[in-house]
Amino acid sequence: MSVPALELSGLKKSFGKAEIIRGIDLDIGKAERHAIIGPNGAGKSTLFNLITARFAPTAGTVKLHGENLAGLEPFQINRKGLSRSFQITNIFPKMSVFENVRCALLWAQGYKYSFWNLVSRQRALTEGADAILEEINLSARRDIPAGMLSYAEQRALEIGITIAGGANVIMLDEPTAGMSNTETDYIMDLIMRVTEGKTLIMVEHDMGVVFGLADRISVLVYGEIIATDTPERVRADPKVQEAYLGAALEAEH
Amino acid sequence: MDLILVNLIDGLVTGLLLFMLSAGLTLIFSMMGVLNFAHASFYMLGAYFAYSISLALGFWMGLLIAPLIVGVAGAMVERYGLRRVHQYGHVPELIFTFGLALLIEELVQFIWGKNQMPYDVPDILNFTAFAISGNSIPAYKIFMIFISVGIFIGLLYVLTKTRVGMIIQAALSYPRTVEALGHNVPLIFMGVFGVGTALAGVAGVIAGPVLGTFPGMAFVLGSIVFVTIVIGGLGSLWGALVASLLIGWITTFAKSYNIEMESILNGIGIATPENMDDNMFRDFWSLTSPQIADILPYILMVLILIFRPAGLFGKRTQ
Amino acid sequence: MNEQLKTDPTKPAQRMRAGGMTLSLAPWIIAAVAMMALPMIFTNNSALTIMNQMSITIIFALAYNMLLGQGGMLSFGHAVYAGVGGFFCMHLMNMSDFFATIPLPILPLFGGLFGMGLALIVGSFSTRSAGTVFAMISLGVGELIAASSVIVVAFFGGEEGISGDRTYAQPFFGVEFLQQIEVYYLTAAWVIISAALMYLWSRTPVGRMANAVRDNPERAEFLGYSARWVRYYSFVASGFFAGVSGGLFAINYEILTEENLNAASSGIILLVTFLGGVGFFFGPIIGAVVFTLVQTVLSLQTELWAFYAGCLFVATVMFFPGGLAGLIMMHVPAVKLGKWKLLIMPYIKTLIPAAIGILGLCALVEMTFHYRHGATGDNEMTLFWTTFDSHTLMPWLIAAAVTVIGIGIARMTAPSLKEAWDEANTMGGAS
Repeated sequence: MSVPALELSGLKKSFGKAEIIRGIDLDIGKAERHAIIGPNGAGKSTLFNLITARFAPTAGTVKLHGENLAGLEPFQINRKGLSRSFQITNIFPKMSVFENVRCALLWAQGYKYSFWNLVSRQRALTEGADAILEEINLSARRDIPAGMLSYAEQRALEIGITIAGGANVIMLDEPTAGMSNTETDYIMDLIMRVTEGKTLIMVEHDMGVVFGLADRISVLVYGEIIATDTPERVRADPKVQEAYLGAALEAEH
Repeated sequence: MDLILVNLIDGLVTGLLLFMLSAGLTLIFSMMGVLNFAHASFYMLGAYFAYSISLALGFWMGLLIAPLIVGVAGAMVERYGLRRVHQYGHVPELIFTFGLALLIEELVQFIWGKNQMPYDVPDILNFTAFAISGNSIPAYKIFMIFISVGIFIGLLYVLTKTRVGMIIQAALSYPRTVEALGHNVPLIFMGVFGVGTALAGVAGVIAGPVLGTFPGMAFVLGSIVFVTIVIGGLGSLWGALVASLLIGWITTFAKSYNIEMESILNGIGIATPENMDDNMFRDFWSLTSPQIADILPYILMVLILIFRPAGLFGKRTQ
Repeated sequence: MNEQLKTDPTKPAQRMRAGGMTLSLAPWIIAAVAMMALPMIFTNNSALTIMNQMSITIIFALAYNMLLGQGGMLSFGHAVYAGVGGFFCMHLMNMSDFFATIPLPILPLFGGLFGMGLALIVGSFSTRSAGTVFAMISLGVGELIAASSVIVVAFFGGEEGISGDRTYAQPFFGVEFLQQIEVYYLTAAWVIISAALMYLWSRTPVGRMANAVRDNPERAEFLGYSARWVRYYSFVASGFFAGVSGGLFAINYEILTEENLNAASSGIILLVTFLGGVGFFFGPIIGAVVFTLVQTVLSLQTELWAFYAGCLFVATVMFFPGGLAGLIMMHVPAVKLGKWKLLIMPYIKTLIPAAIGILGLCALVEMTFHYRHGATGDNEMTLFWTTFDSHTLMPWLIAAAVTVIGIGIARMTAPSLKEAWDEANTMGGAS
């Protein structure tokens, strides 16, 4: 088997005496769509923050394409091809929608900290940003400040920023949180399209989204993964049903 | 040995005075996340109010009333100024308090003029408490120590033993939760701001007679106070205490012992260059410790920031 | 109000036009022509001095806004970068052998390099974080350098500072810069060049990321940029242009003292920048022009000018955080809708009484000041071209009445101004 896109081994995190993540081993293959589900307070967002170095782990390692990420800063991890979105919308509200996306493209297109290029003169940059706006259906809103977009549009923009840099591992933290049904369908469709051929790891509460999108699902309960399998088998797993899924599945059928 | 004791007392007075300012500043900072640039201006107001009151009612009434006025003024500033600017973010808040500091200095000059006020130690305290081998210790210094220590014990008691103190401590870390529990957080903020500025007022009342009551007094002490809380670690009360005392003692000792850079350099084996007049580093060679006493806190701050960015007692910030 | 510091959903995007493919040259050409023409209108030397002062302040304020407006870093000690750059230029002027080989117009470049050098060192630890910590460090470092100026006599010249003579430089195409007008054109050229460079900087990848880091450092980190490095680049660039302004100061005044370094100078540049408006590139330019004029005019008229400046500053922070530039740009929608004419009459009805009321208030302030601090027996004072006795009741009554009536009328007409404002900013409808 080839090197997994993301490999977690023995990952632990404590805040003071409270152990939030209690040893997680997980391999996620290339181009896999992986969902992490679990009850509130299970540590899903903490796990995300550990992987992206927002927090430092207490023990264990995170490997991206076989490379250990220990000690790297978030921006270094991003440069290695891992990009993430946030549970709470995290965009640049005062900049225009177009500029939000353009900023996300700068590093990927190799501009680094340059002060000898004018951004408006870079055709590839402008076209790339416009292409992404097209993809996330925000071309019509191109020039208004991102803070003025509707909530669903902001979430779409957040996804656009996340994928803009061309990262091959995309992590989405509750992309459909707080959305209406139609909005959820729109975002789900968007995620399907933009993560084609990429590794996707998402935390999600909406079971419809999870079962519709994911190739495999991990169930996180109290900082431990109690099951990792295909949606059908996870659905059938008695442990999962007991811990968490039962009620939700009953409601669905 | 005796001289050391004298310096210890002097440094303690300076340190406690600094702490009276840095404690209020720290409380306000950790609760509201805003560094009150005008904090030392309230200290100045304390001194001026106390002077004006002492003309009519005597020193003791000044000590009692002036901090109250300053505290009320501080609370008003929070209620009608800071709270309005708060919506724009932290940087405008900081700019606001900076503007306020400028304005208060101008206001003081407008009301009292540019000259130093003849605000003096009250007669009843104007005697020598005791002498240590010829160095007399004025009673007023002992009085200052007692007042400041008394206030800290009171403050500590209120913060740790009373209900209000508990709520304040909780609001320091979790303002939203405390608000959700039904406490009036804006009122607590206003109160803490008032108390913090009142503390600065007390410091002004008792420091005015020794350090001088003049329009520049806020700035002279103010920048040292900021340095103090940076060294101690922003938001840490213990850090503020340690840093205040540290700075008090360092500057006092540097002033009283005339240590020359030349002897230090010679001591570590660097010979004095022959032709000093043409030497680029001539100023460096002729440095003496009293000369640099006033900038030692800044040097200390830069060193701390380089080697321990969060300050002595600061939580490591990511 | 201020798109820089707060998002206001009722205001359209002002920054977006930056994304366009064309960089409009028109404002630059107009500015250059205006700077060429100004000395022909204001020919006397004192006007030239004021204009030079303005130019130096413009560069410094723009450099300062690279930090505050564009990078979200509030500095309380930025004067040291200008000052140290200036001191360095002063030393170059005094190194006669070297100075005789360079033309004077390139001297500010050296000032810039030295300011940049200092920023390289200080920035390495101060740009670790923005916000309060950065502000405190800038204050501490600023104070440290300002205080050392009295100790390190060899470089800073102690209390009396350092002076030099600009005319020892190599003549530049025959110009020896003996006259004020020659210095004016030198300074003007530097203003245009520096302003253009700083504007272009804001359009480069690192300049755009400075805005991103200001708004949301964490998100910027997850886009591959280190917030700290982005801040560091801005800081160093700002140090360079501050140094240029210091070099120009050295050329203009031929003396630098501790005053060029101290916290008061740092405070003034914050004041200038903020009054002008941090949200727009041209804000600091307006701030520098207006502040220099107000300072020159008011300081001749009243001892209390700093008091008024302080009041104005605090009022700006509280009510118009966008500064003058923000106020101007507020009117763009109305102009675009072609309805700005609706505003003229309401403005006249409200602002003129308000101005008169404020002048009345100032009169009361001036009279109080005279009453308290005037020499004994000297009861006469002159205010608004009228001489009267400040110890009699009548002037007080008049001033109080003017204040109350002026502000009263303004308050009465304010609602109709608001109505007109809403109307002017609404699309369609009767016009």
